[in-house]
Amino acid sequence: MQDYDESKGYVALLGWSLNAIDAADRFDRRYIVVAPPWATDYCEANGIPHIAWDFDRLNERSYELATTLKDEGVDVAIPLFEETVEWAGAVNAVLRDNPRLLGQAMLFRDKSLMKRRAQLGGIRVGVFEEAHDRGDVIRFLKRVNQTLLKLDGDPNDPIHFKAFDKSGTAGHRVIRTAEDVDLIPDEEFPALLESHLDGWEFAVEAWIKDRKIQFLNISEYVTLGYSVFVPATPELEQHRARITEEIEKLIETFDIEFGFIHPEYFLTSDNKLYFGEVAYRPPGFNALELIERAYGFNGYQALVLAFDPKATQQELDAFFPTPVEDAKGHAGCFGVYPRRRVVNRLEIPDATANHPYFEHHELAEPMQNKVAKRSAFGTHWGLMYFFGDDPHRLRDLLKSQEELDFYV
Amino acid sequence: MRDEDAALAALLEKLDAAAARLADARPFAKHRHQRPVLDIAARVLGQPGGVSALYARAGALDAAGLFAGSDWDSPATLLPQLVGLTLDNPDRVTVALEITSLLRMLAIATGEATHEGLHAEPARHYLTQVLALNLRHFFGASSEASRATGWEDVKRSVLRFVAERIGLRDVLGVLVEEIWRILEQRPVQVAPVKDMIAQISIAMAEQGAEPGQERLGAERLVGALFGPTIASQDDPGIGAFLERLEGFDEHALMREATGFARAMHDTGLVSDYHAAFLTWLAAREGPSLVPEALGLGQTGLDCWRRYMPLVRRLIGAAVTPFTPQAVYGLSLVLDRGVLHYAPIEPALTGQIAAELHPEAAQRLRLAYGEAVSAETHLLAGLLEVIGQPFGVGQGANPTCQSARAIAMWALNDPDYLLHLVRQASEMDAVTMHFEGQPIASSELPPGLSAGAPIDADPVSVLLVPHLDRIYAEMGRLCAPRGGDPHRWINPEFHGWWVARDCIVAVDVATGLLADYEAFVARFCRGYHPAYNDARPVIHPQPAGIAVTDASARFVGWHAISILRVDTDQHGVVRVYFYNPNNDSGQDWGAGVVVSTSGCGERYGEASLPFEEFVSRLYLFHDDPLTAARVPTIVPEEFIASIRDRATQSWAADRLEAAPSWTGGGA
Repeated sequence: MQDYDESKGYVALLGWSLNAIDAADRFDRRYIVVAPPWATDYCEANGIPHIAWDFDRLNERSYELATTLKDEGVDVAIPLFEETVEWAGAVNAVLRDNPRLLGQAMLFRDKSLMKRRAQLGGIRVGVFEEAHDRGDVIRFLKRVNQTLLKLDGDPNDPIHFKAFDKSGTAGHRVIRTAEDVDLIPDEEFPALLESHLDGWEFAVEAWIKDRKIQFLNISEYVTLGYSVFVPATPELEQHRARITEEIEKLIETFDIEFGFIHPEYFLTSDNKLYFGEVAYRPPGFNALELIERAYGFNGYQALVLAFDPKATQQELDAFFPTPVEDAKGHAGCFGVYPRRRVVNRLEIPDATANHPYFEHHELAEPMQNKVAKRSAFGTHWGLMYFFGDDPHRLRDLLKSQEELDFYV
Repeated sequence: MRDEDAALAALLEKLDAAAARLADARPFAKHRHQRPVLDIAARVLGQPGGVSALYARAGALDAAGLFAGSDWDSPATLLPQLVGLTLDNPDRVTVALEITSLLRMLAIATGEATHEGLHAEPARHYLTQVLALNLRHFFGASSEASRATGWEDVKRSVLRFVAERIGLRDVLGVLVEEIWRILEQRPVQVAPVKDMIAQISIAMAEQGAEPGQERLGAERLVGALFGPTIASQDDPGIGAFLERLEGFDEHALMREATGFARAMHDTGLVSDYHAAFLTWLAAREGPSLVPEALGLGQTGLDCWRRYMPLVRRLIGAAVTPFTPQAVYGLSLVLDRGVLHYAPIEPALTGQIAAELHPEAAQRLRLAYGEAVSAETHLLAGLLEVIGQPFGVGQGANPTCQSARAIAMWALNDPDYLLHLVRQASEMDAVTMHFEGQPIASSELPPGLSAGAPIDADPVSVLLVPHLDRIYAEMGRLCAPRGGDPHRWINPEFHGWWVARDCIVAVDVATGLLADYEAFVARFCRGYHPAYNDARPVIHPQPAGIAVTDASARFVGWHAISILRVDTDQHGVVRVYFYNPNNDSGQDWGAGVVVSTSGCGERYGEASLPFEEFVSRLYLFHDDPLTAARVPTIVPEEFIASIRDRATQSWAADRLEAAPSWTGGGA
């Protein structure tokens, strides 16, 4: 069903994302989906070009995938999820005939290596360390708090615990006490430990081609793990020039020729930018959908352009709007977690349902009445979408959702 | 731009953005974008102008793929019978889906949109069937089931929107039948019915109607309302009509009077011309044609002769073009002979002179507008309620007990009703006594209906807020006693005639059936003519019904009164009862369909065969004498058949913890 332009590149999408497939199918480049075998029937039924591939299996087979794709005539592979980033690196090393791409992907996949590489590149990072067991975590917690001249019995400053290879808030824990450490399951080691930075946290989505930033979006977090909106408030956007410099440092340090990155930063109260981490794949929390709502361009199609070696600068210039200026409004979303221990039904609070910024929600009726206790940041039960003209009003609205019950 | 226009515009911007995403998506990804569209569409529908805005987009939404992957995607195969069920779904997104589908059908029917495989004519036919099958959404009446899910107004406005565009010609037959069915119950509140007749009249004028039975029925209704007599049959307007009367001789006036009376008693509806005619007659010198214009029988004529000055004053104070139904009320008050009952004449005289408390007057103005005074509306309402006690309805309010009490007093104890109305109109407060202890409504918080109802008759608008509070307070006083509080409340609240034994089918604490066979046997011995030595029901008795929906699922407890038990013309023993719900003709599922006419019912009565009635009964009162008499034997299989009907409907999950019944026990 797809109409594609033979003269343009042929891309492989690694991972199953219906939104990405839909966008690619509507775009002017040939594509093929590389997805787990369970998706095969769906692809067959809907005429989606695909190759079944089991990403859970060992990496040795990556060369097999690369040659399969090469024989198919694919020019480049695009990772859609954290788990497929190194597969894309391995495949692209073959397809692009550039072995460095695999090493680069490994940097993105290992939070500890990533942090060291950034530090070596002269990028400001917080204090961090690797942890292989709970003893390492306790030691780091104590050390950080000693440094801060805390006495025994003073409440600790928290530290952050992040599984090496998980994306977003999955596997992200905030540790304050030894009891918190006991709650970490064995399988989450090894992990990266970081000191806590007080400040303004935000994310950047940057599409890169020929080592140049093609489009840079700043996503402002209202509360990490709960809410985000784009474009950011003018207060954050005024740092755009500095942020752009930081992204250029990342491009240099990580040797990024093309693609898409999604780094997170802290702006601390002393006006310093700290690098948190960076991912080489689309962000969670449906950020690309928010960008589309605000700017009107499809983030996945932008991804295809940024990866396609045959894309021209002209095409890219025509594709992307001017940041901030061209936004039709501000789009945000809020992840709902049930606040009560026992819930019976979904009930959108009137204040939210009647708010002019409220768009729609993806919340489902509760499947079970008992709410599991949250240990790590956990998974929200669905997203609420908002859109409006005033970024401050939107920010306050998103913040106020945290005080409301959506499940009663 | 007004606030609500701005709110609608903002929602439409969001709807269009979501619809654009849906339209862009490939068929395999449509389903991800359907829910957001429906979510916003549901909110659009709640806004003024929302239906029309959604209609304008319905064809585009269909083309965008809103129904892709669902049964609604092949409209040619949709079944009109299923629409009603979907509209009653508690999930608004589902209701929004059905409504959008209806509006899309409408766009196809009117040629504004197309859908492969469906032409305008079948689409129109489908909508006609949907309208005919969902007439209940047209009328003001709401059932327990629909009250529980809410959103009635939206559904009504959508169906009316559809009706206005495809016309009612094709549904005329069903509609006329439905209106007659409602009129057979002689409701006090006829505004929704009059509204529908007006729509029929417009439809017939614009589109004509096929000659035949349907047209005849429709013309009878339209004629009764807009031109029942020679002087009014071309609907000339009140002014021209009154001018014509000046030129009429006595014979012609007599024809006018009997013409009006015939139309009124035929339908229960009063034409505005009739009201104007009666006022004109009452004020006129010379021989009076008032009895003829009221269509009085022997008793009424006797009352008219004896109480002529009072009746003239009542006409002057209560009958206006804004309160035409007062004519019907007055006619029935006279024919009931209640004026002969000593307290009534002075009580009515006092009410004519009474001035309303500002709060009470404000409530009535809110309900009926300001064209005539609140006092006029109240007096008209009093005549209607006393004239047709079983025409009282609760409106869309959870206040069945209060409506039932008003009906019961109007029937049984009209001077007590006048006494309460007088208190409420002068003080905006009512005091009743519970076991000797005074309870003043003015000192109580609101009861079940937090806001006072304004969609009921004037007497209810005035009294229900007070009755509701007092009833709730009596409940509070009984709470510590355990057991069902109606045992004590019902006699105290309604009157001495409520029988003092109170029998309940369920254990109040657990909600499970308790000694159900004894419950049924006692009811048979108290009420069934074959088992109670043919003792008739003397006073209306309050009773409790477990209301079930058309699928026989439990909906809630509901208050009714038992009026009489009799054998109908087909030899079936039936219980005749009053249901304060606005429309008694309900389907309670599993074949239990409440009849409102054709089985010996008087106006406003509902009835069921004895066994079917008992199978939905959960509480009744009975004279202690029944228990004192030598018990008659009620056949076990008779009781068992009732038990089966109960346990297959409302009592399905209320079976006794440890079944101990042997059948037929005392």
